Amino acid sequence: MSLSRIGGFRIAGVATCVPAAIASNADLGSRYGEVEVRKVVAMAGVRERRVADEGVTASDLCTEAAADLLDRLGWARDSITGLIFVTQSPDYFLPSGSCVIHHKLGLSDQCAAFDLGLGCSGYPYGLYLAACMLKGGGQQRILLLHGETPSKFSTPDDHATTLLFSDAGSATALETSATAPDSFFALHTDGAGAEQLIIRGGAFRDRHPQDPRHQYLQMDGAAIFNFTVKRVPALIHDTLNFAGLAAGDIDSFLFHQSNRFIMKHIAHKCGLPEARVPLILEHFGNSGGPSVPLVLTQSLAQSLAAHTGDRLRVMMLGYGVGLSWGAALMELDREMLVMHRDYSGAPAAAMVPPATAPQAAHPGTAANA
Amino acid sequence: MSAEPLTLEQACEMLSMAFNEPLAGIEPGRTRESILGWDSMGALMLIAELDDRFGVELTADDSRKMASIADVLQYLRSRQLLRE
Repeated sequence: MSLSRIGGFRIAGVATCVPAAIASNADLGSRYGEVEVRKVVAMAGVRERRVADEGVTASDLCTEAAADLLDRLGWARDSITGLIFVTQSPDYFLPSGSCVIHHKLGLSDQCAAFDLGLGCSGYPYGLYLAACMLKGGGQQRILLLHGETPSKFSTPDDHATTLLFSDAGSATALETSATAPDSFFALHTDGAGAEQLIIRGGAFRDRHPQDPRHQYLQMDGAAIFNFTVKRVPALIHDTLNFAGLAAGDIDSFLFHQSNRFIMKHIAHKCGLPEARVPLILEHFGNSGGPSVPLVLTQSLAQSLAAHTGDRLRVMMLGYGVGLSWGAALMELDREMLVMHRDYSGAPAAAMVPPATAPQAAHPGTAANA
Repeated sequence: MSAEPLTLEQACEMLSMAFNEPLAGIEPGRTRESILGWDSMGALMLIAELDDRFGVELTADDSRKMASIADVLQYLRSRQLLRE
């Protein structure tokens, strides 16, 4: 078990960016059958999904989120010492997407930039890496970008994934801090389940697959369900134990938005109050790992309203492809900046903050651009 | 979570709920294909029920092997979850 306690850093801000195009599952009844669509919507909880246009990638969504965030924080581009891009929807096999984003954001050549190839567990893993870099010395400010375009993983023949997957990008700004409380991380892997969520073709094991289905995601739903209900409750329990806390000490459990039925099952099993397990699947679908920062930006204002302290204690949970799963238990400043926008496609260097949305000027409040 | 084995009637009620099938239609001889709600969703519902009630993991492989209500009941027997 990989358990770590790391201090000396804080999250200064989180920004999320989703495609403007909304796909409604209700419109797909004629393709997949009305009854079938109703069943999937009822179980998974997804009514609408955000779908990136052709030619728009996870790195585009993350770049826009990052540019917005840097401008609002007033962080000079050359003050960024590290850039981590977490994705399983890369633009290219090489170079790393982080290098492409580095150029678009106009960062310094003193910045360390690299990709992290994880999906659903990517956010807690990414936070852990950034924390280690900040704690280790030589780093002052890190951008953690996590983006996916799972809508491009799905073949229209597979209604189970088509009706579920949505696209999103995010940027999290982290910096050193002498006063921030320690954070706790628990990270796990079970490679025996690697084939339970897999795109078999296109990479170097099978560059030109004969079976066209191998260019798309294949998911063993029952196996993934069993993995989730077995591993995630133990993850929550072990992380709380390590931090010396109880479930009631956590103000918000930010789950990877995988499937409403599964999330409710786990919350019930762990005795988590419904009000502390925000769900955003209905309008944002399952966007993979970035659904964790997305549920943060979408729910933080409500969580803060129900809370009186200076800090909000959250447990962020990612679980899935790999199989890989992890938790990050952190205290977020009430003053932490959160932002959210629909993708505009404006070049990163030319981006200016939205003209309206006064809420955006208030730290700790989600801004819809 | 209940550790008590189910009676046959309770087992059939559980399957009726999991597969969204009227209780009268839950008979040992019923095949999977003949039960509309015993699809991938229904299979997940059964997995969830066994986890919730007994903390038992019905693996994806075992689930796929079940072709009839009789197979499910036999599985429950094999795990000492059915009281007869």
